[in-house]
Amino acid sequence: MVEISSDVIRGYNDTMILSILMKEPSYGYEISKQIKSISDGKYVIKETTLYSAFTRMEKNGYIESFVADPDPEGNGKKRTYYRPTEQGKAYYSEKCAEWELTKEVVERFIDNKENVYGNN
Amino acid sequence: METIKSYLEAMFAGLPNTAEVRKAKAELLQMMEDKYNELIAEGVSENAAVGTVISEFGNLDELADDLGLSTALEVAHDIQSATPRRNLTLDEVKDYMAARMKKAFLIALGVMLFVICVVFPILITGHGAAGAGMMFLDIAIGVGLVIYGSFVGAEFKYIEQEPCSIDMNTAKYLKGERQHFLPIRSICVAVAVVLFIICWVPNLFVTKGLYTLGPSLMFLLIGIGVFLLIYSGMISSAFDKLLGINDAKTISGTYNEGVKAPIRYKSKTAETIVTCYWPAVTSLYLIISFLTFQWHITWIIWPVAAVAHKAVVVNCEAEEEF
Repeated sequence: MVEISSDVIRGYNDTMILSILMKEPSYGYEISKQIKSISDGKYVIKETTLYSAFTRMEKNGYIESFVADPDPEGNGKKRTYYRPTEQGKAYYSEKCAEWELTKEVVERFIDNKENVYGNN
Repeated sequence: METIKSYLEAMFAGLPNTAEVRKAKAELLQMMEDKYNELIAEGVSENAAVGTVISEFGNLDELADDLGLSTALEVAHDIQSATPRRNLTLDEVKDYMAARMKKAFLIALGVMLFVICVVFPILITGHGAAGAGMMFLDIAIGVGLVIYGSFVGAEFKYIEQEPCSIDMNTAKYLKGERQHFLPIRSICVAVAVVLFIICWVPNLFVTKGLYTLGPSLMFLLIGIGVFLLIYSGMISSAFDKLLGINDAKTISGTYNEGVKAPIRYKSKTAETIVTCYWPAVTSLYLIISFLTFQWHITWIIWPVAAVAHKAVVVNCEAEEEF
């Protein structure tokens, strides 16, 4: 079975996390669950990868953290939530454009039946 | 869940005890716990849930750069690596604590001798210079003890002057030791305060023939109180010194400056109690004083409250989980 190589996807973990956080602020496990469900279970992000992305993005000013209780009645255990900053949103758009370009370029070298560039 | 905790514990065991590392550990544990609980709620067996959580954990090396742990991981892998920060071994830390306790004892005893030196001229009267002679002998011994005490543990100077680090295991050991020591420290402080308060009491019972006994006992009681305060205080600060070693500044300096771990309380109620403590004591003092108008005695509330405060804080602050 083909699996996603962590080297390839590394540059886009931030993009996925930002895309989720732009819908609403969220915390560690909730984000990893969403990545799994949006990718139909094809990509499961490791805890260390996720935490490393949080600290890096927070340091770069793309996201900010706050402590909140996931339980609306306030009886649960508190979690560290993250939300994107304006800078983070700009970074997200940049990464989306970058991915479009990357995809287009790499696609030209991929050998499959629908490869329109193959026999030029 | 215990398996997951011990897995994480083992992964972090060799890492330095910094606020960032503790935060990373707590956040990772929270994520693992959430995942584990959801798997269990979905009806997955406990063993399978633990297996999934651990297999999806990842690798700590990934965190190294982001947490400023690159050097720390190197230190953990190879203690001899050329890092400016010196990693203290558990044995070194134990020797240091033993030296600090000896030092604390010598200095506290020396200072106590200074305090009680006046007892001799008070007690020994009518024998020429004998009282004064004893006093100077006492001071001389005290000076000797303090000088000797200040040299004890000189070989550990680097712990105070050079950047050092301790790993999680050592920090855990120290926290355990401090936990045992805290009640002793509280008792020492409480006894010392009581001694200071009652030190003049012997003067009340002095009969004419023994009029020198009262002041002598007073200085003796103060001396013992001072000894208890200095001795327990120096040991206490040695614990704080060692446990604060990594917190003062981040190990590699690559991440934001060291984050001071906020005080956490056992519960919301505990936090409220600690926050309201002094205002409550003040109110109590004023209410009682105005109701009884016994101002000359109501001040007793303050020293009692100060001693009780220590006990309240110890009981309300949550022990650090990691």
